[in-house]
Amino acid sequence: MWENFLTGTATLFGDPFTIAIFIFGVLGGMLFGAIPGVSMLTLAAILLPFTADLDPAQGVMLFAVIYCTGTYGGAITAILFNIPGAPENAPTSFDGYPMTRQGKAAKAVGAAVLCSAIGGTASALVMMLATEPLAKWAIMNIGPPEIFALVFFGLAVASTVGGRTIWKGWLSVLLGLLIATIGQDPVGGINRYNFGFSDLAAGIAFVPAILGFFAVSEVFVQAEKKASGKYEAPELSVNFPTFRELWAHKIAVIRSIFVGFFCGILPGIGATLAAFMGYGEAVRWSKNKEEFGKGKLEGVISSETANNAATGAAMIPLLALGLPGGALTAMMVAVFQMHDLEPGPLVFYNSPDLIWIVFAAMFYANLSILFIGLLETKTILYLLKIPFQFLAPLILMLASIGAYIGRGLVLDVMVMFAAGIIGFLLRRSGYSIPGIVLGLILGKIGEQNFAQGMQMVHYDLVTYFSRPICTILIVAGALTLLRGVYSAIQSSRSTEAV
Amino acid sequence: MTIFSTKTLTAVAVAATIAGVASIANAGECRRAEASMDKPGGFPDRALTMIVPYGPAGGSGQVAAAMAEAVTELTGVSINRDHKPGGSGSVGMTAYMAMPADGYNVLEHIDDASSAHALDSSKPNPASDLTPLVVSQVTFSQIYIRSNETRFTDWPSFVEWVKAQDGKATIANVSAEGSMERVTMKFITDATGMKIQQISFDKGAPRYGALLGGQVDALFEQPGDVRKFLDAGNFKPILSIFNERPGIFADVPTHREMGMDFEPLLRFRGFYVHKGIPEDRLNWLKWAFQRAYCQDSYQKYNDSKFMNVIDSYRDTEGAIKLISNSINQYREVYKEMGLDVK
Repeated sequence: MWENFLTGTATLFGDPFTIAIFIFGVLGGMLFGAIPGVSMLTLAAILLPFTADLDPAQGVMLFAVIYCTGTYGGAITAILFNIPGAPENAPTSFDGYPMTRQGKAAKAVGAAVLCSAIGGTASALVMMLATEPLAKWAIMNIGPPEIFALVFFGLAVASTVGGRTIWKGWLSVLLGLLIATIGQDPVGGINRYNFGFSDLAAGIAFVPAILGFFAVSEVFVQAEKKASGKYEAPELSVNFPTFRELWAHKIAVIRSIFVGFFCGILPGIGATLAAFMGYGEAVRWSKNKEEFGKGKLEGVISSETANNAATGAAMIPLLALGLPGGALTAMMVAVFQMHDLEPGPLVFYNSPDLIWIVFAAMFYANLSILFIGLLETKTILYLLKIPFQFLAPLILMLASIGAYIGRGLVLDVMVMFAAGIIGFLLRRSGYSIPGIVLGLILGKIGEQNFAQGMQMVHYDLVTYFSRPICTILIVAGALTLLRGVYSAIQSSRSTEAV
Repeated sequence: MTIFSTKTLTAVAVAATIAGVASIANAGECRRAEASMDKPGGFPDRALTMIVPYGPAGGSGQVAAAMAEAVTELTGVSINRDHKPGGSGSVGMTAYMAMPADGYNVLEHIDDASSAHALDSSKPNPASDLTPLVVSQVTFSQIYIRSNETRFTDWPSFVEWVKAQDGKATIANVSAEGSMERVTMKFITDATGMKIQQISFDKGAPRYGALLGGQVDALFEQPGDVRKFLDAGNFKPILSIFNERPGIFADVPTHREMGMDFEPLLRFRGFYVHKGIPEDRLNWLKWAFQRAYCQDSYQKYNDSKFMNVIDSYRDTEGAIKLISNSINQYREVYKEMGLDVK
């Protein structure tokens, strides 16, 4: 392996044009990942036709690098402005933005930079070591029933984040699940809740909803404070996390690497589920669950480690079996095909040079997140000095563009503002915005896999629970829910007693 | 790597050779003779917009990119692709119908538009509410099993095994209500008397992964979409749903040979413009898209997708005929299936 890796490295850095493409991918991915609404997918779609003129290895390598750095890029805006660059950065804002309000933006950004680099690099290393056996294991053992069980477990674990009470946390998740049912059902294609609007047949898109619930509602909250004279600009600090602080979260990092990697190797799932699951696991294992959603460093660490750990993992089913894990890896299939190549087992046989340049590029791209990320952070933090009266319209304008640009539908801008208003009102009442977004994103994945899983087991629960992974995850999720209910009842009894 | 047998690699080489021959044959089939055509009144004097109702990475996204590239190569006119995915193509169709009918806007769509109109006539009829410029991909479906499958090895043994499972055998497809897949599966199950559970996957990767991993017993798909699995020796076709054996799949029986007497529904992708755009502009667009089909870059793309295994080209008249026949066929089947045909 090391010999191949060194050969890949030598090829990557042995040609000035290849180096230029690598640097372009690193910077482009970070930039497009950080601009709200515009994601690494936008950049990839723009670049797709141009890759035909590149060498196949350069084309695939460019997309792999964009994938690594783009997944990280959205963390910055999630932390500084409550605007996740992409759905996989949404859990980062749960605690990252509260940290910014508390004057700990540099700490959160620093942790995001470091943990993205660690998660991505670890993932790239495992990818190099064990692509083929891991892909085969995942394909043989994880099907729709297991993915549904995983989503159920994730929802059960993270459902209480950000809610004033457990009940409000759950109601928030249920609202998200309800919103997720808008549009065609994932199996039969039957329209639901579209009220005759064909644009709603596609459902509520994630990006406008996330921008509305996070960015727009936050602008409203701060505007209200400004109007009532209670607004306090976030403090600008450049105190990065200390080594001791990060070392204290080593278990969270390792756990998120495993969680992110596991989610990443599942075809069609990718980094979004990884980020939510990583965050959820951090909540589950924490002794201070109530601190999540209020500015806990561990929340940022878990989410950013997990989503970048999914990037290398997502390459595994793509390269070993030709099965893309998400939208960007699906575009990589097109890059392969433009050069008369097909990702899959034969590519290892026919184009080993290409594979090892890509592996090496992903490894170095993750390392470069660390260096470039830390360099850019000090500059970016000064954006917080922009006065609110200028910042708020800028955020609304960027969010509107971001909501519109994905599908070019005015409906998406309307959805964004509706979500902003709903989010503003619900936050005042103690409901959980992260819970709604969690329900919306995991709801879509969960429903599809539930329907497919039920068809596979012929609607027979005995058959369903004969699959060990399903049983373990469903039982663990149910116990988590019951424990939450028990704790809530105990807590309310104690309050009454007092 | 132990997964590559000599047999597999030989199969790949043979497939590539046959595909190359098919390419040469099809290049000769380009029926648009004029190599150039003057722009009518300077049209188009700016880039065209192509609405694509699906994402950039799927089959529609790829054919839209290949055709846009070929048209630009041929005419020098740029084409901006605007992807509007969702609702089985209905979001893109609605957006397109709201655009000006000035010839600057082109729509890519697949046979889903025909089946959607067949089910609900208030939805645009691609043959009469739009004008097809060209249908550039026509393909057929097949049933696949894993190459290392031991429970059954061909269509007769598959049918026998499925019947023995009493409805518990599974097949992965895209089985949204009224879809080509579901209708074709109805034809097959009616003709064979077998009961099989259809598992609907809307994305390709999980669908193919389900067969690779043994989560399902069979897969319903078009050959171009699973070419890499065929080349790698992972999947094996056991039935072609087509009236005759395509040369490249000469050892795979057709549904008719297996005693199923129905007209196969084809998967097709094409390019359309609004009805009623100025005649001279329409003629130029027809020329550009039909001639672009013959460009080497487009032919190469179609070859890579097994899209020249059968005749993939329909000009405007041919496309109208193909679409109208499909709509009539779908409508009859929907009524038989008891669906609410509007």
